[in-house]
Amino acid sequence: MTRSIAANIRGLTLAIATTFLVTSVGVGYWTLVAGDELGNDPFNPRLVAAIRDRPRGFIKDSAGNTLAESVQTPDGYKRVYRDKTLAQVTGYASFQFGASGVEAAYAESLIGQDPGDPLSQWRARYLRERAPPGSIVLGIDPKVQKAAVDALGGRRGAIVAIDPRNGAILASASWPQYDASLISDPATEDAAWKQVTADPDKPLINRVTQGLYPPGSTFKIITGAAALESGVDPNAKVRVDDPWQADKSWGSYFVRSSSRAHGDYTMADGYRLSENIYFAKIGLQIGGPKLAEYAQRFGIGSSTHCDITAAKGQLSTAGVLDRPTLVADTAYGQGELLVSPLQMALVAAAVGMGGVMPTPHYATEVRDAELHAIRVIAPGPIGQVIRPETARTLTTMLVGAVSGPGAFAFAAKIPGVNVAGKTGSAENPSGAPHGWFVGFAPAEAPTVAVAILLENSPRGGEDAAPLGGRVMQAALGK
Amino acid sequence: MIAVTRRRPELGLLFWVAALGITGSVAVAAAEVAGFRPQQLVIPVTFVVIAFALHVFLAARGVRGDQLLLPIAAALTAIGLVLVQRLASNLLVQQLSWTLIAAGAFAGTILIPRDLTALSRFKWTWALLGVLLLISPLLPVIGREVNGARIWLGVGTVTFEPWEAVKILLVIFFAAYLEEFREVLAQTQRRFGPIPVPPVPYLVPIVAMWAIAMVVMVFERDLGATLLFLGIFLAMLYLATGEAFYTLIGLALLLVGGFVAYHVFAHVAARVDIWLHPFAEDVRFGIGYQLVQGLFALANGGLFGAGLGNGMPDRIPVVWSDFVFDAFTEEVGFAGAIALLSLYLLFVYRGMLIALRAPTPFLQLLAAGLSFIVALQTLVIVGANARLIPLTGITLPFVAYGGSSLVTNWMLVALLIRVSDVTARTRGTP
Repeated sequence: MTRSIAANIRGLTLAIATTFLVTSVGVGYWTLVAGDELGNDPFNPRLVAAIRDRPRGFIKDSAGNTLAESVQTPDGYKRVYRDKTLAQVTGYASFQFGASGVEAAYAESLIGQDPGDPLSQWRARYLRERAPPGSIVLGIDPKVQKAAVDALGGRRGAIVAIDPRNGAILASASWPQYDASLISDPATEDAAWKQVTADPDKPLINRVTQGLYPPGSTFKIITGAAALESGVDPNAKVRVDDPWQADKSWGSYFVRSSSRAHGDYTMADGYRLSENIYFAKIGLQIGGPKLAEYAQRFGIGSSTHCDITAAKGQLSTAGVLDRPTLVADTAYGQGELLVSPLQMALVAAAVGMGGVMPTPHYATEVRDAELHAIRVIAPGPIGQVIRPETARTLTTMLVGAVSGPGAFAFAAKIPGVNVAGKTGSAENPSGAPHGWFVGFAPAEAPTVAVAILLENSPRGGEDAAPLGGRVMQAALGK
Repeated sequence: MIAVTRRRPELGLLFWVAALGITGSVAVAAAEVAGFRPQQLVIPVTFVVIAFALHVFLAARGVRGDQLLLPIAAALTAIGLVLVQRLASNLLVQQLSWTLIAAGAFAGTILIPRDLTALSRFKWTWALLGVLLLISPLLPVIGREVNGARIWLGVGTVTFEPWEAVKILLVIFFAAYLEEFREVLAQTQRRFGPIPVPPVPYLVPIVAMWAIAMVVMVFERDLGATLLFLGIFLAMLYLATGEAFYTLIGLALLLVGGFVAYHVFAHVAARVDIWLHPFAEDVRFGIGYQLVQGLFALANGGLFGAGLGNGMPDRIPVVWSDFVFDAFTEEVGFAGAIALLSLYLLFVYRGMLIALRAPTPFLQLLAAGLSFIVALQTLVIVGANARLIPLTGITLPFVAYGGSSLVTNWMLVALLIRVSDVTARTRGTP
């Protein structure tokens, strides 16, 4: 006998009800789960409307100066930026092109839905209630920022100063700049966008956090740390004869000394005279895996945990150091290394702080509409990357690199203050070497760490060192 | 002489429907820049009058059938009118006119077939009529092509989608045909492995209808009609025979057909590509724009929605027909969406209950088939709006803007009420 139609009807109804349930779950996913991501999609017209129809909060520096604010126009609100030197930091908030920098990273806080205020977030998300916009206070110190911009003096490059004790970014200059107000104004946004995106110097990039460069000799800080913690005696003499190769298998490849050196070097001599061959030799002595481990400890190739978009850098194209020549080249900062100026400032900060690397952050506070603090942004340190005694030994040698006899980085000296630092000249495919300086001061209890990068600077690190001195001097108030 | 019946539950529920329609309309008007004006009440009030008139009509005719279907269909229609007012207010008067025509079609369907069972005697007539209607858009002069699909009939400015009527004719035909031959089809003696092989001659009409569905797909480029056609075909076959193998084979055919169509027809490939990668850079600003905007609308819905008139669903192209569900959800949230889906599920449940109780296999198959149409259409369009399946161009029953769909769906409601009326009279229960 055939199954009764009634049984079939029940079966079909069950299938329909099940499909309704599945469909409801699908709808629930898009409305409740995917809401955040899609709501912040730069091309969501609702986000555009939120920019246009309601004011966003202020972005202020640590002295209370307004860096960004919303101005009412007949068609709604537009963002105006008061400090062009911070264009890449504040970013832009455009109807058409979305948002970047702090405008993007703290988009929720700026429209009154700070994650630190779960109730207002919940109300906005589920009840569609809108709190008044919040404001963001940055750690940027206008005096240090001005010193950094003046030091850069219109050269392509980046300068960052960071408080090593808490990771607050005190100055962040990236050149060339652009006018974020033009990108955030509907009347000018198209032309301005076309212009900045067509510029071969890529002004939209924040060179501090997103610029990637070979670190050159500044990387020797990491090589030295790895050597010290692998039991290398810093006072042992190492023979340096320019040019050098480990064995005949390197063929025509040699490590070159920048001073054509012949002699016996201690580690302190290696830093003071920035001797490539010394570091290539101890790099090979401790081996590729050890060197790679310390690069990773110092955050090369991983997130800086910075609050705005930042690059990770790379140890090598493959992520490992598997050839002797690559180990040697990496040990003195070339090879396939790529780092951002912020990452190198963090390396300096970690050495200065006895091995504790801080978490970098541009914003220090989120405030509500009445400028009362909602939330203090004080991320704990990233971690202890090297032992305190290693950091102390390195610090002594880095002070020597600035103020020892014949020191390469002498130009970073500040009267009355012990400065620790290291220069670097990074060979690169785009022309003259990039000039680096990283350092911190006062060496015994630092309150500022800097990284200077000058793109294609004729004298490399020699050009960068004095800028580091000036920026640190401004930060120390001397 | 027909005795007047009292349809108390229906009357009571219609007051809730009236409240829904009027508050919805006022809320939408109030959210507009111009604000609410009293003359705007004309439209919801007209609708409420139509709904109550239908109730009075049923009571006066002494109809003893189901009392939930009319309020549910009226509630859905009211939501539809509110959404047309919200999304395409220039189409509102037109939609209200269609509601009036739909009410007329409903009344006509209650009145005209004196004996429902007699419908089954003219099954070949329905089949022929269905086929003619299906291929009619391909004819010159009256056929119209809209948005790349040639599925419209047009006289002057009035257009009609014949497919909408075909779906009901199909269910009637299948119900009648399968009532007659279901035993033969199900109790097949021959099996090819585990696969039952039905006596071939009895399959010819069914396969013929299936072939015509393919014609629809190829020549009229209407994915929605094809999908609905196959869905109805498979569901009816399952209802009549209980043979899951038919369904599985049908689903397999659908997948194979879909795969072939994906590679042969650009418009099918486009739909699938949109579904798979709506956020790809070259899709989101091009062919996938509509779906991405729909998903943005859903995402803005949250739990309770932006509030009627406060979202931005008008950014979705052709929102009033294809994406009305996303627009609704943006403004009333997940809670509102679940409420809407519950209304549909309740409608389908009542329809299936009517089918269960119906006295003859023909009426059982008819009621179940008609209910299935509503379920399938709802699931296919809501599933597409929530990116669970590709978009096929089926509209949300009762709610989406569109005259032909509204008219035929109300005829469907009338048929279901008629079936339950027959049951009540046969069994003597009210």
